[in-house]
Amino acid sequence: MSAMRSAAVAAAAAIFTLSGCYNVRPSSGGGEKASATLPRKVDPADVAVPAGYRIEAVATGFTFPTGVAFDASGIPHVVEAGYSYGEVFTTPRLVRVNKDGTTTEVARGSNNGPWTGVAYANGAFYVAEGGQMQGGRILRITPDGKIAPILENLPGQGDHHTNGPAIGPDGAIYFGQGTATNSAVVGEDNLKFGWLKRFPKFHDIPCRDVTLAGVNYETKDVPLAPDLPRTPTGAFVPFGTTTQPGQVIKGQIPCSGAIMKVAPGGGAPELVAWGFRNPFGLAFAPDGQLYATDNGYDDRGSRPVWGTPDVLWRVTPGAWYGWPDYSEGKPINQEFYKVPMKGIPQLVLAKPPGKPPQPVASLGVHSSSNGIDFSRSASFGHVGQAFIAEFGDQAPETGKSLHPVGFRVIRVDVKSGRIEDFVVNRSDKSGPASKIGSAGIERPVGLRFDPSGNALYIVDFGIMLMDKMGPKPQQRTGVLWRVARGGAS
Amino acid sequence: MKRIFANRAAAGAMIVALAATLAACHPVKRSEPLVGPMTLTDPALERGRLLFDRHCYKCHLEGEGGLAPPFNDKPLPKFLMRLQTRVGLGAMPAFSEDQLSDAELDDLLNYIVYLRHHYPKDRNPQAKGG
Repeated sequence: MSAMRSAAVAAAAAIFTLSGCYNVRPSSGGGEKASATLPRKVDPADVAVPAGYRIEAVATGFTFPTGVAFDASGIPHVVEAGYSYGEVFTTPRLVRVNKDGTTTEVARGSNNGPWTGVAYANGAFYVAEGGQMQGGRILRITPDGKIAPILENLPGQGDHHTNGPAIGPDGAIYFGQGTATNSAVVGEDNLKFGWLKRFPKFHDIPCRDVTLAGVNYETKDVPLAPDLPRTPTGAFVPFGTTTQPGQVIKGQIPCSGAIMKVAPGGGAPELVAWGFRNPFGLAFAPDGQLYATDNGYDDRGSRPVWGTPDVLWRVTPGAWYGWPDYSEGKPINQEFYKVPMKGIPQLVLAKPPGKPPQPVASLGVHSSSNGIDFSRSASFGHVGQAFIAEFGDQAPETGKSLHPVGFRVIRVDVKSGRIEDFVVNRSDKSGPASKIGSAGIERPVGLRFDPSGNALYIVDFGIMLMDKMGPKPQQRTGVLWRVARGGAS
Repeated sequence: MKRIFANRAAAGAMIVALAATLAACHPVKRSEPLVGPMTLTDPALERGRLLFDRHCYKCHLEGEGGLAPPFNDKPLPKFLMRLQTRVGLGAMPAFSEDQLSDAELDDLLNYIVYLRHHYPKDRNPQAKGG
């Protein structure tokens, strides 16, 4: 046998092994573990940050924390969601974090979580209330704990919620509104989430009129329609409703998959941009430009889409960003987004309502890239770069992942698109501490620089295990971390 | 006798290739907090890094694997990676010349090889604390 032939055999074997990995190997996402050791152990020594920085745990024991903001005195306050995927309802709360790491409750909300984020301006906290039971709201909470909604009836009862908020240079409260579904078609995955049983007529709402291609998808064996072996459903309509080619769905505001804004004193919401899927994190760069993180499609439901990344968008007012037919500026009816062993997604819109922009950066598929803020301090470094908290994959529910994705804080140079890890667990393996057997970070979901700009506070949601039945979030496992300049921790 | 030797050589080559590839199915992290910053002075490598972030990062992260397998620890030669990129075997989609020109693919593959070797020589990047 010639050397060339041996090489060809070796090459064929290597290619076969490499290419076959995805289809033959089981999912191994970060939450796919049978159980976790409780109470959670927390040790900054198990967390790696770049040379010249140090990390510490400020407070522990939160239940589903999602955001942090600082009052006029610079004291950190954390919101606890009051709801987690897995249909676990607790009490949404705003708590003050004391210097000794204890917490004091400032306000508690109703059974309408999740509270997904918090910002502080004009002597009050602004909280995005997800709206799982009564629709999303933007709440104004004074430091003495009085809660007043400044906006209500946002479409947050679905898969994704009312997110944010961020205070704009114009003083308005900007917020994101996630979509009801994965890709505009209500299906059996929404029943699994829990909301379809509560709200069988709920569906996505476009912000502007859209014309449909009349594509319908079938869902099998749904208890809501026991007489039908397969239930056809179209886009932007309730479960079990079909659509026709050329059918126009009227746009309205508030809508799904959008960034909107409202005056600090309340009033009607105003559309900023639309065509997002789940714009979770909003932040203004030092130059006043708005950026948003957006969670990509999942491989689930009756219209699954594969391999679409979470993205970082530079937000242009009035623009349409592509959902439900585009990912990272590209149409999804192509081989790139075909679910392995299944078909290529069909477009549901007869004509796109605009040309979607290109993202600043394409982040990890299923990384759940969420909270975002920008460095403004030369003493902290990386001025003008975006820092993003990655909650981490929810495999297998969102689709197979060969290795854990996310579970870290990254930084992105928004000029070049360069992506770099900033906070990761100190291990040869990727994943949350509960997966790799350490006392490091679990699921970073929110972050914010303190008013001095010299410290980055990171909200760690805590342990959330995953299996085929869905998420298993663990209460009292959330942590608030702090990264600042200094020696090794 | 010569034929037996040839068959054994082929089998051996296949075993070595499979062992190298399979044994490599173990992620190796290259992130800044663990192995230090990557400072590039070669413009071609810098171009390759940006192409990597645009096209590869979402599935492979920094070569450590994610949705897709890792490749930091796979001793695959560039011609194999080029073939995989152009043909798109398995779940990985093919990248046409419209999406990634030959010159861009050269820069990208050079960067991937550089990334594979990016860790301080006195430190084992897989060790805890590394």
